[in-house]
Amino acid sequence: MCGITGYLDKTGNGGTPIGEILIRMMNPLCRRGPDSAGVAIFGPSVAPRLILRVKLGEMGHLEEKGEAVVAALRRLAPVSEHRVFSEYLRVVVGPVHDLHSFERQVEGLAEGLELVSLGHQLEITKQVGSPEDLDGSYQVRSFRGTHGIGHTRLSTESRVDLSHSQPFWARGVPDLATVHNGHITNYHKLRRQYEQKGFRFYTENDSEIIGIYLRDEMAHDRSFEEALWSSVKDFDGSFCYLAATGNSLAFVKDPFALKPLMVAESDKFVAVATEELALRASIPDDFRVFEPGIRQVHLWSVPTLVLERA
Amino acid sequence: MPSGEMSLINQIDARGKTARDINRQIKELIAAGEKEISVLHPEARHNLAVGLLSSISIVFEGSVGYYCGGMIDGPELEIRGSAGWGLGESMLSGTVRVRGNAGNSCAASIRGGTVVVHGSVGARAGISMKGGLLIVERDCGYMSGFMMQKGAVIICGNAGAALADSMYEGRIFAGGEIEDLGNDAVVKEPDEQDWKFLRMNLGRWGISAERPFKKVVAGRRLWNFDKQELGLWKEAL
Repeated sequence: MCGITGYLDKTGNGGTPIGEILIRMMNPLCRRGPDSAGVAIFGPSVAPRLILRVKLGEMGHLEEKGEAVVAALRRLAPVSEHRVFSEYLRVVVGPVHDLHSFERQVEGLAEGLELVSLGHQLEITKQVGSPEDLDGSYQVRSFRGTHGIGHTRLSTESRVDLSHSQPFWARGVPDLATVHNGHITNYHKLRRQYEQKGFRFYTENDSEIIGIYLRDEMAHDRSFEEALWSSVKDFDGSFCYLAATGNSLAFVKDPFALKPLMVAESDKFVAVATEELALRASIPDDFRVFEPGIRQVHLWSVPTLVLERA
Repeated sequence: MPSGEMSLINQIDARGKTARDINRQIKELIAAGEKEISVLHPEARHNLAVGLLSSISIVFEGSVGYYCGGMIDGPELEIRGSAGWGLGESMLSGTVRVRGNAGNSCAASIRGGTVVVHGSVGARAGISMKGGLLIVERDCGYMSGFMMQKGAVIICGNAGAALADSMYEGRIFAGGEIEDLGNDAVVKEPDEQDWKFLRMNLGRWGISAERPFKKVVAGRRLWNFDKQELGLWKEAL
């Protein structure tokens, strides 16, 4: 099961209430994924700085731990904003020169730290529970941006916790996030191959492989779109996933159409969701929906009109 | 409904109601002898109008979710929007008409009746049909007519890959391009009887039969196992 949702404002309005739209889309999909809920939202860019969302851990004095991490972080890069809320530390840092070693250094600053997302625009918020719980904890409805993706998870293979929830940030690539509905059956085989190449896996969730795959393909001079296309051939099983970057939103469908996806598009927006229910619940306009076929990849871009962060 | 406007049609406003509430209300109206029901704001809810066994006309003023009209015997449903997966699944008789598109597995395992989709349908349309008729005014997706056993499918537009894979019996008509045929599917030219059938059944829904229809039927090579044709069996699902 699982429910996936995506929304992109085609006018490039960075003030679109993406958080509100995603929560409204995810609520009716809750019954497809009651275990956890999460959103990846792309707001105005802070480039060359980076927005980090760090999971501090599950218990203990997280506020104090967050302050200690920020103090240590200041030795790595200039910190311009920081805030601890619940399990997360949100920091704006940078510029950062060597991203790869920066990532490792950040996670080495304290026990149990995990980078949930990193990017100039991307912010991932996820937790165990329903979309309404997520909004209750992090005020997701107030998030604004140009586009975003959301996920309601029904766990079938791996643990139910924040780390195993979706969206996943594709580590090593700023502003790349994925949500997946289905099961990638050659996950263990691919995982062994990537581990031999030196990739580190943080979860037992097969969906984590998507970001790693896209990252590796793009490191081998493939464009984002080419990587999406080749994944249709390289992944086995039933899958329908969404991938989003700082300026685009894409869906990929498996060769058997085993997982649903409904698409609605107008001049102003594109919205995709596992069920039409989600589209009708979130967008008041009149629109037609269609279900894409097998082996399909479609990518929409945000026009370069993003509002500057105030 | 604007105030002052009288209507003989019974309306159910689905806002704030669960599928169970709406279905119960439909059944109560049928029991009260109503012949026409209109459902406002269905907002793509699942399992609407399932298992209805009487002749009743129901119009959904909007989209419906999964399994709308499943297992019905007799009703006439019209959906003024789109439909999700499993439209009219396992229905016995009646009609289900969709003005927009329908998702995967539309008219799956139907035994009788007619499903008409004026838009396009997703994958596995008419899978395992055991009778009845499915009409799609535009295109159909992957593996439509898979393991069909009886009845007819009319696709006025293009058909997706693996059309009519492993079908046992029945007829599939495709008016546009066929991406590729499934195992043991054979293309034939429609005969006079077929054209009569197409004109009659499409004409009823205001759809033109003037298209270069091809007929796809079972090659019957999968009916009995033959080790001379092992290759064919290895391919078949």
